[in-house]
Amino acid sequence: MSFRQPSILPGFGLTLGFSTFFLSAIVLVPLAALVMKTATMGWSDFIRVVTDARALASYRLSFGASMLAATLNSVFGFIIAWTLVRYEFPGRKLIDSLIDMPFALPTAVSGIALTAVFAENGWIGQYLAPLGIKVAYTWIGVVVALTLIGLPFVVRSVQPAIAEVQRDLEDAAETLGAGRFTIFRRIVLPTVFPALATGFTLAFARAVGEYGSVIFIAGNLPMRTEITPLLIVIKLEQFDYKGAAALGFIMLTMSFVMLLSINLLQAWSRRRMVAAGR
Amino acid sequence: MSITLDQVTKRYQGSPVVNDVSLEVGEGEFYVLLGPSGSGKSTLLRAIAGLTGVDHGRIALHGNDVTHVSARQRGVGLVFQNYALFRHMTVGENIEFALKVRRMKSAERRKELLRLVALEGMDDRLPTQLSGGQQQRVAVARALAHKPPVLLLDEPFGALDAKIREELRRTIRQVQRELKITTVLVTHDQEEAFAMADRIGVMNLGRLLESGKPDELYARPATRFVATFLGAANLLLARQTEQGIRFGAAPVNARRVEKLEGGREQEVVAVLRPEEVELAPTRDNLRTNFIANGIVEEQVFTGAFERMRVRMADGAANAHIASPNANGGSNGSAALLDVTRTQHEQRLFPLSLGQSVAIGVRRIHVLPTPLSSYTAYGSDEASCERLSQHPLLVELASRMKTRIIKRNEAPLVACDAPASAPVSGVAVIAAGQKTADQLQWLLQNGAGEVLVLPAHSSPPQKVLIHWADDSARRSTLAVAASLLRHVAAEAVYVGILPEGSGGESQRPFGVRTLLDARSEAQAVHGLEMRTELRFGAAADELQRQLTESQDPMLILGVSDPAQLRGTFGTLFTSGATYPMMIVYRPSKDSEGAVE
Repeated sequence: MSFRQPSILPGFGLTLGFSTFFLSAIVLVPLAALVMKTATMGWSDFIRVVTDARALASYRLSFGASMLAATLNSVFGFIIAWTLVRYEFPGRKLIDSLIDMPFALPTAVSGIALTAVFAENGWIGQYLAPLGIKVAYTWIGVVVALTLIGLPFVVRSVQPAIAEVQRDLEDAAETLGAGRFTIFRRIVLPTVFPALATGFTLAFARAVGEYGSVIFIAGNLPMRTEITPLLIVIKLEQFDYKGAAALGFIMLTMSFVMLLSINLLQAWSRRRMVAAGR
Repeated sequence: MSITLDQVTKRYQGSPVVNDVSLEVGEGEFYVLLGPSGSGKSTLLRAIAGLTGVDHGRIALHGNDVTHVSARQRGVGLVFQNYALFRHMTVGENIEFALKVRRMKSAERRKELLRLVALEGMDDRLPTQLSGGQQQRVAVARALAHKPPVLLLDEPFGALDAKIREELRRTIRQVQRELKITTVLVTHDQEEAFAMADRIGVMNLGRLLESGKPDELYARPATRFVATFLGAANLLLARQTEQGIRFGAAPVNARRVEKLEGGREQEVVAVLRPEEVELAPTRDNLRTNFIANGIVEEQVFTGAFERMRVRMADGAANAHIASPNANGGSNGSAALLDVTRTQHEQRLFPLSLGQSVAIGVRRIHVLPTPLSSYTAYGSDEASCERLSQHPLLVELASRMKTRIIKRNEAPLVACDAPASAPVSGVAVIAAGQKTADQLQWLLQNGAGEVLVLPAHSSPPQKVLIHWADDSARRSTLAVAASLLRHVAAEAVYVGILPEGSGGESQRPFGVRTLLDARSEAQAVHGLEMRTELRFGAAADELQRQLTESQDPMLILGVSDPAQLRGTFGTLFTSGATYPMMIVYRPSKDSEGAVE
């Protein structure tokens, strides 16, 4: 059996070799090292570290806040992308380039800026405080920070998909008697769904791994506003390398399982959309 | 009437893409809107569906005014060129969509519709698993599901290859007959229009030019555009005389279809279909009217027919032919006649390249247009040349597929000597200080229509129409109708009553004049125009309107050359900045004297 596909451009062997080497050096080897390091500790130690109450609370915050942030991003990112694709207005190009800012900004900077704005005496925080809403130094602050850094992923994934939704489809649905909400729910959303899922996955993955911006706004109270990456750093600072590796291993496994299932879901819906012959 | 459009206008960035279209489509009729791309036909279809709003005019479906009703409420069946199927739904779900959103039972109806378009059992396929033809049939079934009041098809065969196209045409026509549903189809393909239509409407530049049964439109088109767009046609300039039609020197006793207004001898545009031409070895062998001798220059065998181009050698050679394949009125195509012959004719008289033949015509149709050709007048070579290159003139001539002649006339400046030859066709002069004198001189020398062009002018957006008195009305409307078929502008008739001359009591009279003018324009010339009533001095009112409008043009009818200096004098003194078309017909009394 041969994997070789006839192609106009030569170099299957070379490119595959290069890809394997690159992935190994940059991704697989460090991950393997992580697993190896974890393996040096005994089962009982491992279980103790990863089921520690403080660790469990941090998983809940890390994955819960990431999930919530990615969901928020999917909603607002979709609306922003829709506005940018469908309408012409002055300043459109400017907003379009602003979307990418969280990519470029050092995460620490965005964390500090968010803290300043949402602190109890900050620009926005001072109006929220009387309402009893505390953002900075609570889990809400974590969600806000993760939403900020995840937004561009959703917008950039969804934009081309929205541009591809043919106006004719909406026109057709309208002449068939569908109202605006029906058109959105039954025509537009299903068409954009695969791209939205991609955006969600990317934003989620990015949020789980985020460290810099969160530590400034979260306040880092053990059991309450402590994310898993921070816990890992704390363990490192205490020279508990094995404990840090164990937590890293758990994050790795959970992220992998979640990303894989989202990807499978997405592949399934994409296959439904773009079947043979098109 | 199933569909009634009344003066529907849609503007896009100021210029009209659908321009004053009025149309009635009868119950169960299959109507085809035919036109080149950009003619506004798809926009008009979307306006009927309610997907595009209109800026002016009314739309009614089955007698109910739906002008301000949303597309959702109108619920017409619409089929798109690219099918616009919902790709994440199965064929069955697509077809049931309209019923589901109405919460109606759908299983029965789905089966029925699939049978109608011969796709039984395909319910669970996804659109992407079907061929293009099948997808379009699903689209038709989907559009019919909710029993829409009318079915609209927007170039439904555009993306299909020839074989499938033919088959789908038959299916759609069959379905339409079975359901007796009023249908409007938009296409740019004249063959498709002929194959499917009960009636065809031809659109160009946003206007509905003509509407009628396919065979009638083909045999008796009223406009150059329809003549050349529906099938192939040779357009010839001829002279209409008391005896009949003359091409250059050769008189032709061809049967005339319609008598043109005014008994005077004039230049006319004749339509000669390639299949109405007869070729024979000599003049005596012709069974039809001889028009010229010629030489075969091009010969192509296309199966059933033989196509050729014959260069006319004498007589009719300077009749100028705008052949259907030539772009615009370039002189390169002059005297080249397109001819098609059947197998039978080929066997009777086999021909080869370079052979001399005698040319006869079986049937000639004269277009009822008063605008035949343009002659640019100047007092020296340079000014003639400059005028003949005027962008607006070149544009008009190329759209009308006619020629521009240059004529150098010294008397244009002196204004007392007679012209070297009588003026025929439309005379063109440059606007200037002496415009009024030049106009008078041209009219005295036989001109009926004079186009006055300023040095710089953009294509007109708004054409104002006015005539000095009723005897000029008919011919002014004829000129306006003919001209407006070739420019994308709005037409407005300006009726002007003297100020203070009875005040309110004059108003009903004025309004009646406007209504008469509009209905005559519609009925006799197929021209849709708007009307405005003003009070005051004619020249001042016109001047005011012209300065207020953006890129205006004026069509002015007079029955006495003196009116140009008198009533309308102020329009000509300052050198106009907009194009003007002056139409002159002597008033009834003097015309009677001539006849």
